[in-house]
Amino acid sequence: MTTTAARTTTYAWIVLSAITIVSWWLAPGHAHGATAVASVPITVAVIVLAFIKGRLIIQYFMEVRTAPRWLKLFTDAWLTILWAGVLAIYLY
Amino acid sequence: MGDFVAHTEQAAGEFDTAAASSVTSAEGRVHLPGDVHMWVMVLGDLIIFGAYFIIFMVFRARNPQEFLASEQHLNINIGVLNTLVLLASSWFIARSVQAARADDHAQALRLTYFGGLCGVGFIAIKAYEWSAKITQGYTISSNDFFMFYYMLTGVHLFHVSLGLLILGITVRELRNPRRRRPFMVEAGATYWHMVDLLWIVIFALVYVMR
Repeated sequence: MTTTAARTTTYAWIVLSAITIVSWWLAPGHAHGATAVASVPITVAVIVLAFIKGRLIIQYFMEVRTAPRWLKLFTDAWLTILWAGVLAIYLY
Repeated sequence: MGDFVAHTEQAAGEFDTAAASSVTSAEGRVHLPGDVHMWVMVLGDLIIFGAYFIIFMVFRARNPQEFLASEQHLNINIGVLNTLVLLASSWFIARSVQAARADDHAQALRLTYFGGLCGVGFIAIKAYEWSAKITQGYTISSNDFFMFYYMLTGVHLFHVSLGLLILGITVRELRNPRRRRPFMVEAGATYWHMVDLLWIVIFALVYVMR
């Protein structure tokens, strides 16, 4: 009886893991020998992906998608302020 | 119901159809998982960590070259592995809540154990990573980046341990046929997913951004 809910959870988990593997490819940690250079497009991509990951965890794992309105607004505000703040400080 | 549909605009549409037709997601009605006390604690933690992340960015902006060069010394394979392990643990815990709602307590218990096991795995990987960094000579006093690296991952690790303790309460709840209160299982899961959510931010800021 849990099949549809289970499938939803699994889809969210697959997307989260896939984004994590893409992040591996974006990271500067394996530029062997070469010095990593700052990259605005990569950092913007990292911020967007992390925002999506956070929202998937909140909506589908923490089940905020069926929660009261105040909780949806609070969590979305937290995500937006955090990542907009990170981006603004990075670009400043 | 309209409210529910209106607020799921983000990710894939098929998630929503699946959730809406599900009998286990509180029949599609508005439902606060766990209780309000757990949410006060979780939202408070999110605000404190949020401030910490912003302070990290302010320090990073003052010396981006040093932060980026230091970031290169972290092992991205370990960072990705840690993230995948924690995401898997969250999957187990989310499924455990669904099993508990369906009154399949044996399955809920099994899934909670697997989730906790992943949490222990996360701590073991982190301990290995820390010891490798210290052996290489990168300690908390090396520079600002490593100060933040040890502080952020350290405070997070404390939350992982606390999360394991809370999962222990979930186990006690599920094992006793007289207890098995759904809100207790949900509250434990809410805390565990917060640990996952905070790690996602640390991973992006400390390991991946350039």
